[in-house]
Amino acid sequence: MDISESKDFPVHTKSLREVRDFAREIFDQSPIFNNQKDELVLAIAEAAQNIVKHAYKDISNTKDIMQIKISFKDNELKIGFYDKGKPVNQENIKHRKLDDIKPGGLGTFFIQQIMDEVVFKEATGWHNHLVLTKNFNQQ
Amino acid sequence: MSYNVKEEGNIATVYLNGEIDMDVTESAKEVILPLVEAKKEVHLNLKDVQYMDSSGISVLIESHQKALEVGTTVKLKEISKSVLKVIMMAKLEQVLNLD
Repeated sequence: MDISESKDFPVHTKSLREVRDFAREIFDQSPIFNNQKDELVLAIAEAAQNIVKHAYKDISNTKDIMQIKISFKDNELKIGFYDKGKPVNQENIKHRKLDDIKPGGLGTFFIQQIMDEVVFKEATGWHNHLVLTKNFNQQ
Repeated sequence: MSYNVKEEGNIATVYLNGEIDMDVTESAKEVILPLVEAKKEVHLNLKDVQYMDSSGISVLIESHQKALEVGTTVKLKEISKSVLKVIMMAKLEQVLNLD
């Protein structure tokens, strides 16, 4: 079963619930996601949260939107995030060390734990384009 | 997220309900941290928390650390399956007080 869906969300913490609902609805479409649905929803929500928290840091009341595209084809799940916030330098993205117990810095760790690939790509008209990939061939 | 608090002696039990994400972490902290600062033994009942992300985990860490600082404890009670999964993913099951 192929899936290709996209939705725009206002860049705001209040959108995070909507983002999760969007992801859950998609992952309900196929039993292949059943065992990892919660983790996948978490990875998507964390990436959306990073846009609000980091790409739009110190920018309040923006009217910008972020776009999330979820596609599934040939057993490969791809989730694209597009935003017009501050450009992200992938080299600066590091999760904190797990033995350094302190609040914060876990979102990126969760995303990396859950997904097979996490990369930033170029996208015309957007400042940041994050792509999360997970392969379901061996599931 | 919604919550209610029951206090009995020096134990304050906070029943959290719903989904805990970045949008509600400040509200969660406003409920939990004053109880910790008052040196109550705080029990966080997480039975009805269906979702918690890294922001929610940060609230648990901050509450735990504040408790250590003031000489009391925060215990996590009746942790829902989905929250436990996230706590374990963060490898915090040996750090936080899980009951």
